[in-house]
Amino acid sequence: MILRLSILFMVLCIASLTIGVQQLAWSDLLDGSKDAWLTLTASRIPRLIALILTGIGLSISGVILQHIVRNKFVEPATSGGLDAAKLGLLISLTMLPEANTSTKMIFAMLFCLAASLIFIAIINRIEFKNTVLIPVLGLMYGSVLSSIAEFYAYKNNILQSMQGWLLGDFSRVVQEHYELIYIILPVIILAYLYAHRFTVLGMGEEMSSSLGLGYASTAAIGLILVAITVSASVITVGTIPFVGLVIPNLVALKYGENLSRTLPIVALGGACLLILCDILGRLVIYPFEVPIGLTAGGVGGVMFLILILRGIK
Amino acid sequence: MITVQNLNKVYGTKSVLTDISLTFPTAGITSLIGPNGAGKSTLLMIIAKLLEPSSGHVSFNSRQISDIKTAEYAHRVATLRQSPGFNLRLTVEELISFGRFPYSRGHLTQDDKKIIEESIEFLDLQHLRNSYLDELSGGQRQMAFLAMTIAQKTDVLLLDEPLNNLDMRHAVQIMQALRRLCDEQGRTVLLVIHDINFAANYSDHIIALKNGTLKFNGTSEQVITETNLKSLYELDFEIIRSKHGCLCNYFNL
Amino acid sequence: MSTTMKIWGSFIFILLLMCFFTFIGSSFDFDYLIPNRLLRLSTIILGSICLAVSAILFQTIVGNRILSPSIMGYESVYLLWQALLLFMLGAHGLTILNISGNFIISIAIMLIYSWALHYWLLPRCKNNIYMLLLFGLVLTTVLATFTQFIQLSISPGEFSIFQGLSYTSFNRSKPETLISGGVVVTICLWMGRKTLPVLDVMSLGREQSMSLGVDHPKYIRLYLALIAVLVAVSTSLIGPTGFMGIFIANIAYALAGSNKHKAVIPIAFAVSLIIFLVAQLFVEHIFNYKTSVSILVNLVCGIYFLALIVRTRGTA
Repeated sequence: MILRLSILFMVLCIASLTIGVQQLAWSDLLDGSKDAWLTLTASRIPRLIALILTGIGLSISGVILQHIVRNKFVEPATSGGLDAAKLGLLISLTMLPEANTSTKMIFAMLFCLAASLIFIAIINRIEFKNTVLIPVLGLMYGSVLSSIAEFYAYKNNILQSMQGWLLGDFSRVVQEHYELIYIILPVIILAYLYAHRFTVLGMGEEMSSSLGLGYASTAAIGLILVAITVSASVITVGTIPFVGLVIPNLVALKYGENLSRTLPIVALGGACLLILCDILGRLVIYPFEVPIGLTAGGVGGVMFLILILRGIK
Repeated sequence: MITVQNLNKVYGTKSVLTDISLTFPTAGITSLIGPNGAGKSTLLMIIAKLLEPSSGHVSFNSRQISDIKTAEYAHRVATLRQSPGFNLRLTVEELISFGRFPYSRGHLTQDDKKIIEESIEFLDLQHLRNSYLDELSGGQRQMAFLAMTIAQKTDVLLLDEPLNNLDMRHAVQIMQALRRLCDEQGRTVLLVIHDINFAANYSDHIIALKNGTLKFNGTSEQVITETNLKSLYELDFEIIRSKHGCLCNYFNL
Repeated sequence: MSTTMKIWGSFIFILLLMCFFTFIGSSFDFDYLIPNRLLRLSTIILGSICLAVSAILFQTIVGNRILSPSIMGYESVYLLWQALLLFMLGAHGLTILNISGNFIISIAIMLIYSWALHYWLLPRCKNNIYMLLLFGLVLTTVLATFTQFIQLSISPGEFSIFQGLSYTSFNRSKPETLISGGVVVTICLWMGRKTLPVLDVMSLGREQSMSLGVDHPKYIRLYLALIAVLVAVSTSLIGPTGFMGIFIANIAYALAGSNKHKAVIPIAFAVSLIIFLVAQLFVEHIFNYKTSVSILVNLVCGIYFLALIVRTRGTA
């Protein structure tokens, strides 16, 4: 299965490289045309790398959150993390306009982490745990954080531009403006190393303690990994909802939830979905581009709805 | 008088009621008994016009109930489902006044108020009249709902497991109230009941269903026999009769 | 304090608030400022009526207090449809269709949506109200995404201009739309006026109300139609309202201390009116347009809704 998925992934990668406003023919590349190579290295390849890393990062974040909260409907967009990262970024922009990207990222990361911790504190206080109540709370919580961000942005007259650049969009990913996304790479590696522990975490606090796992510390590591991924992706490409929810659920339906086995599938799936949505966005109203926040939001949202309906049965 | 003819109810491929034909006696308590999944509640809900049968007819005083308007039917037949699932903050008296809705459509007349008063007295609910439903015990709640149904002043009352989750005292209170309703006011009570001993001691008539078919239909004495109950529930029974009634024992046999 | 005094008190309070809203800092400029404000005031009044009545009706027929038409995607459907119309017909095509034509088609669409919701989705989620809520929230997001997408196809590049559609605002209505909306709403309310006691019975649930002689399917159809019309009017006048409907309905039930719709609906209307007026006053005179009604309302109502869910979990 991994094989089939990998082939799909390769095909998508090649398609992604060749599609775009700037015509790119293989023959030109072979001829060593300068323009063609420039398009490839300055725009297409960075974009593909950003897509892959974001896709993997978001789907892995979803999986980690789902194991920590033990709820299959949780991901950064349904637990307030995404909106908190937005808020943090906004505050760093207005308070420290001169700050460089890494400072902004630290702000976003800290907000995301704090929001996730508060969210977990809220749901731990609720004894009655309805599976769908938790994402409902998370969405509400996110929309409150979002209103705070809007309130703040409106006051500083940057609401319009904020909405522009916070909607996930890979078209601004070009050489030298996206390198922050590489921070997701070590996150992915760490997630792989910890995959087994996250699976144990998903069995609950008592179970993991009796299996000799430090529950709090493992959960903390997971949350930090999620916060890093979310903030890096928000800063470089903007918000992309539902990817972290849909892919892990589809994978879990088919292959179960043993992370050390399914994590590669989840990662590949996330990358494929994002590349697919990106290609879709580039073709639908060609020669213009639809931001991936919309295509992924639409595709992911519809899949989410289907998952909810399946859950009802 | 309620009559059902060749009644069938099918959900998907599952048949819940198969070819039921019978006439329900008027005045007195008739209990519908049978194991889980026998179709008792389904039958009751079809008679209540809350479910459509897949085929067959139900008639009330020789009129097909499908031809009777809901508003008119509510003057004849009142239904109480088990534990209605709403959490409105209503007082007992407010709830009971809903029983007059079929007549007054929301504007209570002096007559309506008198009838509400009578229902409250009938079930001895005076001390609870201003309490909110969500502050009551399960038994008190059930009494309040029953009072609403009584205030509807219908000839026929259909009750779906009215004793569900009640303690013994409240269960006896409710059955005694139903008994008085039939004996003093000549009403007809049709109820689904699980406790075989309550059915045996308070009903005039018993109808037993099993797997969607009619199994027994007769007076209480006719139906409550050791052989009948054994074939109905697939359990051994010992029936002990005394001057106070009868006891159907199915423990340690 | 007696009930009549309370009613008169709030009536006078609202009246004062409306005068205050109309005249504050206007230096009695009857040529521009005051007519403009009166238009806004009428928009707020009509929008409040639609919002209050539709939210209360919806909660009664669904039998739950944590849902509202806007949460269940009604408004997003309306906005998506408007964007689609604009996409298919273009701006001048829309004028050919004229206001009433558009309105009738829009209501038809809303009706289809509410039927689908009620007869297809609701029976599936009967046992899990949060599932319904989650579905509604996600659906709202997805529909908003599609709407943005269509707007983008109409005018690539001028993306942010169209986003104005997705905010609550009282400045977009024109006198014509206001009048036609007012007429439609008056007819609706007149039709629904006599059925208030029926609504009280319907809050007991389907089976209990049928047993009390209410033709439940008939009234469900009536109320679904009313809700569709009211939501269409309110969305075209003031835009999406988010959690506001839930907020005012719950506050109204708490204030009324009774479940009689005759009492609850006017109170919900008053609450909605006060909130909108106060929010607009805040925006104009305290924040100096540094924030918007939509943001204020979302913030307050969102926090309230969050608290409401945390509090009612388990009972709903």
